[in-house]
Amino acid sequence: MKQRIGVYICHCGGNISDYVDVEKVREAVAQNDGVLIAKTTMFACADSNQKGMVQDIKENQLDGVVVASCSPKLHEITFKAVVERAGLNKYNYVHANIREQVSWPHSDNKAGATQKAIQIVKAAIAKVRLSEAIEPLEVDTTQAVLVIGAGVAGMKAAISLSKMGTKVYLIEREPFIGGRIAQWDVLCLTNETGKELVSRLYTEIVSNKNIALYTGAQLVDCKGSIGNFTAKVKLSPRYVKETCIDKEILKKAINACPVEVPDEFNFGITKRRAIYHNFPAEYPQTAVIDMNSCTRCGKCTEICDKIDLNMKEEFLELKVGSILVATGFDPYTPNEGEFGYNVIDNVITLSQFKRLLAFSEPGKLQWHDKPVKNVAYIYCVGSRQVDGNNKYCSRYCCTATINTALKSNDKFPELNHFHFTRGIRTYGKQEQLYHNASKSGHVFFQSYEDDPCRVEHKNNKTTVKINDILTNRKELEVEADIVVLVTGMVPRSNNNISDILKLPRGRDNFFNEIHMKLRPVETVIDGITIAGACQGPKNVVESINSALSAAIKTYSFVGKDKLMVKPEVAEVTPDLCKWCDECTKACPFDAIFKNEQGVAQVNETVCKGCGMCLPVCPTNAIQLKTFSDIEIASMIDVLANEL
Amino acid sequence: MPFAGKKLYDALVVGGGIAGIESALNLANNNLKVLLVEKDLTLGGKMIMLSKVFPTLDCSACITTPKISEVARHPNITILTNTNILQIEKQDKNYFKARIKEKARYVNISDCTGCQLCEEACPVVVPDQYQYDLVGRKAAYIPFNIASPRVASIDMDNCVLCGACEKACPTGCIDFTQEDKEYEIIAKTVIMATGFNLFDPLKIPRFSYGNSKNVITALQMERLLAPTRPYNHVLRPGDGQVPCNIAYVLCAGSRDLSVGNPICSQICCMYSIKQAQLLMGALPMADVTIYYINIRSFGKGFEEFYEQAKGMGVNFVKGKVGKITETDNGNLILWYEDINQGKVIEKKHDLVVLSVGVLANDEPKKLIQGWEKDEYSFAHQKDLFYTPSLSSIEGVFLAGTTSGPMDIPDSILSAGSAAMEAIRYVKQTSIDL
Ligand SMILES: Cc1cc2nc3c(=O)[nH]c(=O)nc-3n(C[C@H](O)[C@H](O)[C@H](O)COP(=O)(O)OP(=O)(O)OC[C@H]3O[C@@H](n4cnc5c(N)ncnc54)[C@H](O)[C@@H]3O)c2cc1C
Ligand code: SF4
Ligand code: SF4
Repeated sequence: MKQRIGVYICHCGGNISDYVDVEKVREAVAQNDGVLIAKTTMFACADSNQKGMVQDIKENQLDGVVVASCSPKLHEITFKAVVERAGLNKYNYVHANIREQVSWPHSDNKAGATQKAIQIVKAAIAKVRLSEAIEPLEVDTTQAVLVIGAGVAGMKAAISLSKMGTKVYLIEREPFIGGRIAQWDVLCLTNETGKELVSRLYTEIVSNKNIALYTGAQLVDCKGSIGNFTAKVKLSPRYVKETCIDKEILKKAINACPVEVPDEFNFGITKRRAIYHNFPAEYPQTAVIDMNSCTRCGKCTEICDKIDLNMKEEFLELKVGSILVATGFDPYTPNEGEFGYNVIDNVITLSQFKRLLAFSEPGKLQWHDKPVKNVAYIYCVGSRQVDGNNKYCSRYCCTATINTALKSNDKFPELNHFHFTRGIRTYGKQEQLYHNASKSGHVFFQSYEDDPCRVEHKNNKTTVKINDILTNRKELEVEADIVVLVTGMVPRSNNNISDILKLPRGRDNFFNEIHMKLRPVETVIDGITIAGACQGPKNVVESINSALSAAIKTYSFVGKDKLMVKPEVAEVTPDLCKWCDECTKACPFDAIFKNEQGVAQVNETVCKGCGMCLPVCPTNAIQLKTFSDIEIASMIDVLANEL
Repeated sequence: MPFAGKKLYDALVVGGGIAGIESALNLANNNLKVLLVEKDLTLGGKMIMLSKVFPTLDCSACITTPKISEVARHPNITILTNTNILQIEKQDKNYFKARIKEKARYVNISDCTGCQLCEEACPVVVPDQYQYDLVGRKAAYIPFNIASPRVASIDMDNCVLCGACEKACPTGCIDFTQEDKEYEIIAKTVIMATGFNLFDPLKIPRFSYGNSKNVITALQMERLLAPTRPYNHVLRPGDGQVPCNIAYVLCAGSRDLSVGNPICSQICCMYSIKQAQLLMGALPMADVTIYYINIRSFGKGFEEFYEQAKGMGVNFVKGKVGKITETDNGNLILWYEDINQGKVIEKKHDLVVLSVGVLANDEPKKLIQGWEKDEYSFAHQKDLFYTPSLSSIEGVFLAGTTSGPMDIPDSILSAGSAAMEAIRYVKQTSIDL
């Protein structure tokens, strides 16, 4: 039993003390059994208070500490570090949350809030009294990293990590690397094309001994935890050997393929064969056969002997210390009939339009053999949805559209641009593009939130109609040769990554970081970081910044050969275990196994301390360290007695 | 790690705002020896002055102070506050020589306990720059409660040399004989995190800032809302009344060629929406109107935050504010062009907040040779799409708002990016100092 406990109650500069009488809380707990010191403080987390705490602990030989402040998500780590600096074990620290759990939700009832705060602090004191010192677990780390996704974020992260001397496995699900930027000819705020950027990245990656790049590679399973993950990767064959370098023969072989399917590289507006290339500067520079559409007729193999339809898929087992996820985004796919999509022939998406501009000959833009002059852009398709689930703004699209429209005139001077917006968001320096577009005669409209524009097709004419804000809801209309739906970003589809790695998603369906400002690239799974647009819409520069931030974090996991991990894990009392196997079924992390003695045993470095196994054990043989039954019961006693 | 005249460092980080702090931590955690130089009396930059931060509404001090505390006690980081960089020169062998000047504080930092007795004793009162002139401070003063270092300083420009503080100080740490000190240090790489300046609304006389006391800037409103606020309540500065009809003027000094700043400041829509939400909480009876051109809520969770503000009853009006005039009782009349109706409308408010924008701090230009800036005076990014943090000088990297407007999450990511490149750069230059 701890008998020299220090308790600190934080004002949080008013966040707490505006609603909770912190002095009253202090008085109420000061005489509690075992409490030696009870203080209030303006900001418990401020440097001056931290120093004061260290001094208190040392001078009074405190054996337990409670801070009652904000959510433990924010500062439990901070205060655990404080007690450690003072020479106390950090598991003799207990955090009480009287902000998120008290002052904020009960701002309408100060007396009640104060009473609740007292109870919560007393419960924390009860727990700290029983707390035991435990040491963190030390694990050996594998000094290698798995980077998932070879878009711009994944490639930049891989390059940086490799330069730090770390072994990097870079896996890309598609047969070609580059992600979305490979598809963009025109990028904003630079004259570099997406293709050029990808080729620079690729050159750096292949010339780097520390990076192993796999394409057609998909994560199928992952076991283990920070420091030691084992990832299973399925490698789909290309069916075309790397030794195939004769371009002419390959071209003939491709032309011999009788299958035609929509080409995803051009977002389906052109066709490709089952054996195909992406573009002249594709990486790696080897064609591939898409087995989902190949009929195995063998026509191509008759022409090129480097093609082998019998190549088999392979599996790799990679041992890594940390995983960096950079799986990017998909452009939103409009629903059938959304602004005429898939119903009216000349309604396409921004991605399709960008490909169309890229591969069309200069000076004569055509869509389905008809010349294009008037282009109407409809903004925020799939973003800022009033009715749908995508409430968020996709961030990149206003700028990308205006930039595409502006640059299109270099190649196709005849194009006129009509923008049907919901308020342009060219934030920062990108505003200059909006300004330039307005100056060069682009026409901008803005619709009301509750009154979107409409696309109609009558007598062979497609028109876009809007009740414009600038003209006080007067209906305006534009006849368009092509209507471009400015589609937003959604997370990559058919992605089982989040299931395999157990990564949580936010309300917007993108991966969630732990805290936007404190731990912006970490996930709740220790050792797994996120980068680029898989975390939320980002442009290229923003993706690179997040990728390098994730890389530096990842490096901190694998840069040393040993790592300390949390010891708050489940523990089996062997004498009580009757091996009924219930616990292994309940454990979501496969951390429990039957040992040689025939009883359950916990793999401490795999266990996440979630506690799922505790309630299912019929003999109560499992306890969670730092959350033992007697600790929890003592807290409940206090809370119940106060009522 | 105390400075003690030490000469050699792996990295020099210039600027102790959130970007500089984050860069220093990233470098130091990877075993680089860092010198962090801040020209102000305290670390924290703009962020430490803020109330809560969008879109999560965390209290800004609760995010900043623990980071500062970590920097302050990190064995690999040496901090110099109140210190100017005089000149940074790149030497042939890929290292940088910097001349720095630690200005006299007239207080011995290591002995000051922050008891504030000197403050009580000092007879001089001047406007408090840390509260954006909303209240006064003494000539002997601690910048604010959560300053780091939390020690006193004597403002010699205003001190009358009466010696009262010296007598009051229990540890005798006040020393009027202190002088500025100059040092020369050497570092292998430099991170510029010199932050941004706020647009000065005096440049738009039609907004009456400076003439009408109840026209304030958004940073002044941050102070009114912050935990370490001057009045412990939101009051209008003109007469101390509780405002009940508050207006926000967005794009004040941004997207405006007439003041020479054509670009969008990227943060002001969001901080205004944030303040509006906080005001709805602090003053439940008040009306808040936001006059805007476009609302730019583009980041993660931002659009939802905007919708939440609408749901709370914040009034959004699409209209450009032409001018603001004051009536007898300190109330204000705001003239704006209503975009809906295409005509000029007058509206009465009792407090107007100017959502001033972000301007470049182009000081680095004077500090280091070879520094190039972009057309808006922000740092030139030499290889924007490959190494966004690289400046025009090899080995000098950019963190935070040095390269353009950015909110806190973006500043933090850009600091990580700069730190990663800086470490890589240091690794490849194998000079032993
Ligand atoms: C009113 C207002 C409200 C805001 N609210 C929010 C919000 O809610 N959420 C959000 O995300 N963002 C918000 N922001 C934006 C936020 O303030 C910035 O994103 C952030 O402060 C940028 O950090 P920085 O480190 O780049 O710059 P700064 O904070 O400006 O820091 C730069 C530092 O460098 C120092 N320095 C400058 N030059 C030199 C030199 N030559 N030598 C040494 N040191 C130097 C400065 O003194 C300063 O300490 C708000 C901004 C304002 C104005
Ligand atoms: S960036 Fe523009 S087009 Fe894209 S969702 Fe946001 S407002 Fe709409
Ligand atoms: S962020 Fe909003 S208020 Fe600020 S300049 Fe841009 S549009 Fe104007």
